[in-house]
Amino acid sequence: MSRACPERSRKVTNIAIAGVGGQGIVLASDVVAEAALCAGHQVKKNEVHGMAQRGGSVVSEIRFGDRIYSPLIPDGDVDVLVGLELLEALRHAHRLRPDGLIIADELRLQPAVRPPGAPEYPPDIVDRLRASAERVVIVPAAELAAEAGNARAANTVLIGVLSQHLDLPREAWHTALRSCLRPSLVEVNLKAFELGQRHV
Amino acid sequence: MATTAPSATCALLSGDEAIARGAFEAGVRVATAYPGTPSTQILEAIIEESRSRGVEESKRPSDSSPIASSPLRLHAEWSPNEKVALEVGVGASLAGARALVSMKHVGLNVASDPLMTASYVGVRGGLVIVTADDPGMFSSQNEQDNRHYAPFAKVPMLEPADSQEAKDFTIAAFELSERFDTPVLLRITTRIAHSNSLVQLGERTEHEPSGFVCEPAKTVMVPGNARRRHELVEARTIALAKYAESSPLNRIEKGDPLIGVICSGVVYQYVKEARPKASFLKLGMTWPLPEKLIRRFAKSVEKLYVVEELDPYLEEQVRGMGIALAHKPTAPRTGELSPNAVARFLGSRKKPGRAPAQGLPPRPPALCPGCGHRALLTAVKRLKLFVSGDIGCYTLGVQPPLQTMDTCICMGASVSVAHGVEKATGRSDNMVAVIGDSTFVHSGITPLIDIVYNKGTSTVIILDNETTAMTGHQEHPATGKTAGREPTTRLSLEDLCRAIGVPHVSVVDPYDLKKTRELIKAAVDRDEPSVIIARRRCVLLDRDRLRHPYRVEAERCAGCGQCLSHGCPAIADVTPKGERKKQVRILPQLCASCGVCAAICPSNAIVATGVAGNE
Repeated sequence: MSRACPERSRKVTNIAIAGVGGQGIVLASDVVAEAALCAGHQVKKNEVHGMAQRGGSVVSEIRFGDRIYSPLIPDGDVDVLVGLELLEALRHAHRLRPDGLIIADELRLQPAVRPPGAPEYPPDIVDRLRASAERVVIVPAAELAAEAGNARAANTVLIGVLSQHLDLPREAWHTALRSCLRPSLVEVNLKAFELGQRHV
Repeated sequence: MATTAPSATCALLSGDEAIARGAFEAGVRVATAYPGTPSTQILEAIIEESRSRGVEESKRPSDSSPIASSPLRLHAEWSPNEKVALEVGVGASLAGARALVSMKHVGLNVASDPLMTASYVGVRGGLVIVTADDPGMFSSQNEQDNRHYAPFAKVPMLEPADSQEAKDFTIAAFELSERFDTPVLLRITTRIAHSNSLVQLGERTEHEPSGFVCEPAKTVMVPGNARRRHELVEARTIALAKYAESSPLNRIEKGDPLIGVICSGVVYQYVKEARPKASFLKLGMTWPLPEKLIRRFAKSVEKLYVVEELDPYLEEQVRGMGIALAHKPTAPRTGELSPNAVARFLGSRKKPGRAPAQGLPPRPPALCPGCGHRALLTAVKRLKLFVSGDIGCYTLGVQPPLQTMDTCICMGASVSVAHGVEKATGRSDNMVAVIGDSTFVHSGITPLIDIVYNKGTSTVIILDNETTAMTGHQEHPATGKTAGREPTTRLSLEDLCRAIGVPHVSVVDPYDLKKTRELIKAAVDRDEPSVIIARRRCVLLDRDRLRHPYRVEAERCAGCGQCLSHGCPAIADVTPKGERKKQVRILPQLCASCGVCAAICPSNAIVATGVAGNE
């Protein structure tokens, strides 16, 4: 089921998770970091707190492998960009490696605040996103999450899709989900993860 | 959240959590802080540590036994502000306990008064002060470089470069503090505070407080004593500089002799990323500097660079030693560094990456749907008043479409700036000061006393959401709960304002737009000072409240767009292109059913659905 990293010989895998404050980005990055840790990798993770979280653009980064220095991924080195929202995915698409992969939720969220003169939400967002990387997977994450039993587990669906593209054992993902989530939410999220992992 | 590796002695911790862990292992007895991004999680993690390890939290003075036989092991508190936090830390240290005081960079400005003299007094138990700087201003009003505080206050400073060092350096800081009789600054930045990396965990070692000892020559800073202490401080700096030469906190990493880099903190990681093979002088202790070590390193490399974030703090000192650098003094002085920026600075020939996508709408942070601050600011906006603002979520009111904030300087300044404007212009009927509950307790009380004392007539609105919201919902004196969420004596804001002598103090629910507006209008027109407490619990703490999402009745909607004027994320502008008449839709999944838009609508076209439902 699981496929190899984009380039297995490289020593560090770089994942960026972008979205809107409140979508569960920190939780998603906790799960990825924990799974990499369970698989025996060195891990660094970086996230944003405070004012930026109030409905603003948020990005979280996870790096794992043998030896990692910077907690920030250098531009042009992102292996997989996970977008919890289309516009936020496009905002970070330029940071991908030339052969990098985008996994994005099909969700479109208008910015809560529109300063005067600010551009409109791009109507051709899907086309632009598809043009921004060689490999782009767009996922109906809310639909799959609802099928799992909770529409708010869209972030976990996307982590499930991500797991197809990383060389981490299935057990590591399950352990990670169990340790990062409240016990009452574990079942629904395991299901959401499975639906993501099976998504073609 | 801290996550644990399969091995029980290793954990993936943020820098903040690692500092907390270090303090815990070092046997810290008293930990104090005022919340401020990016330092907040330090005290939160200490509370967690003490809970998970079963350490008894301190009891309230009224029900604790005398100090000698008290069961106190670890006391963690949110202090009302950073000055108080540091002074409590000084007291604990003088009683022989190890104390940790943490704050954001601007917090150290507030605490700088005790810092400058605590340096003279020194310590008994180790005293470590964490300053968490915010290059790039993710959540701050300035990006001051607090490294300057170390030479200014004449105290040693350590700068960790990852979470393991954050823990190790915290323990080392306590030891240095006691060995050299000095408070120690531990300086981190946002990328250290909020980056996670693996940390080896150790056991807690208890340090029994010796108790307070009478020694006025050390602890009573009258001029005669302070003169002698100042001489000791100067001698201490010389001794520390000598220590720095051979301290394991500073290390040379021999690599390519053609390029040598002096750096500290997270910048070390960026340089390692950009030039892994270079030679490094990695400084863990950045005050006082090891001059001989720097000279030795400079001689060993062909081209010497100093790479640092914000001010040329290290660069100027290295140049001051007469050492030539391979670069002009032109490194960026604003914003944060990144691996890419460092690579460019070091002359990387790697092709620049792709440019970001153009023409994308920005997504700035916004007040939440149902936020009481939005309701209050909407009432203020409709009265067309000058708004003297402050630090908190409500500062987001400066953005369109609300645009209801005219000044924001520092914590507490809303009240005093309004007073200054009044004294300069001779009128206060055209303005209000707005300040959050936690910010008011932090530093809004003294300027309110000033207004009353100096016959001001300004109106102060306290936006009371019953928490410290922006930093993630910490308790404060007016919530009636301690840092550990135990009930305590609640500070009554209304009683406090009356006691100060404010003749008109009222409390209102800002969701009641009409009453709020009337109260504000009456207050600003009055020739006496007024305080209005706009009390509405933070919506993020109130998620279980039953919601009845509102909707727009299209046939009654006049298309005026007034409901869009307060910037609620739950109200979507769905006007087709070219259409002049506005069309709006209320998103039921976001609507918090505060009803403010319904109160604004001149056509009464916004109505509650009557369909109750929790998220």
